[in-house]
Amino acid sequence: MRGVNLSSTRSGTVPVSPVVEITFAISAVIILLSSLAVVLVKNPVRATLLLIVSFLPTSLVYILLQAAFVGILQILVYAGAIMMLFTFVIMMINPSPKDGESPVGGSDGGEGAFSGLRGALIGLLFVGAAGAMVLPLVYHAASQVSVGPVTKPGFGGLASISALLFEDPANNPMTVSFELISFLILVGIIAALNFSRRKGAEPAKPDSISTRPTEALPIVRREPAMDAK
Amino acid sequence: MSVSLFNLPDCLVLSLLLVLIGSYGVFRRRSLIMILLSVEVMLNGVNLSLVSFNFFRWGATEASHYLYMLSIGVAAVEAAVGLSMIIVLFKNYNDISRDRVAQLGERA
Repeated sequence: MRGVNLSSTRSGTVPVSPVVEITFAISAVIILLSSLAVVLVKNPVRATLLLIVSFLPTSLVYILLQAAFVGILQILVYAGAIMMLFTFVIMMINPSPKDGESPVGGSDGGEGAFSGLRGALIGLLFVGAAGAMVLPLVYHAASQVSVGPVTKPGFGGLASISALLFEDPANNPMTVSFELISFLILVGIIAALNFSRRKGAEPAKPDSISTRPTEALPIVRREPAMDAK
Repeated sequence: MSVSLFNLPDCLVLSLLLVLIGSYGVFRRRSLIMILLSVEVMLNGVNLSLVSFNFFRWGATEASHYLYMLSIGVAAVEAAVGLSMIIVLFKNYNDISRDRVAQLGERA
């Protein structure tokens, strides 16, 4: 599962091979630029696709970090499933993305002192100041932590991770907590189903179910009286 | 420390920048979907820091890979629940801006 020869990085003090460094630098630049574009771009579909673009070099960095299985999960689960969900919902509720007044787009913060370019500058200044304060601290502190390089054979491989998770399941706390994720996902499914249920809806009668496509689509009755006044 | 480009401080700086970019999006964007996408950017940065800590400083086990799986499980559930809430909001109010959500409790 080891894509790149990383034997020289294990001690943490030996210079790594320039191939790894160049790959990491290019990946970092792509990740940062596309993440910035996700935050700044107006069209939400483009934002989702740019986020997928930022996930691909992230998984490359994971592979450089000898976490090949995590890199594959990043593509499969994140870029494949979660971003697909986002794209689906955006396409569903945003029928005209070219429209400037689309309810989904809306990049400008609300009205008032923080709107438009001025608000963007204030936000950038704030975030940049926070970063400028924290960044040297992070760099310094991370240089001081004692080195614990990779010693486990097969580190990051599927066999090694599954042994960590499922070895001796009776006494392994990781097994239980890992299986609890599925319970969490079940709770999420129930919550999502509960949200999609209409208020006061009766159970569907058998004769109301039709296979004709025009009748199978639920007709959403908007109630403008709730906020028209 | 070495002067190489690929070490723990560089990975942590990358993840910190990702978190900052995502927080800018969370505070700045008005649409709920864009806020959720910015949260995904922040989670991406946090996951990167987890895995890089594991590689550079704790090579004995893959504990952070396990934490990464927990994190993407939580992210998936969060996306599912959040997006279904957004769909309900859009069906009822035809508007998913942050300001509309802030008004939800006033008229109850």
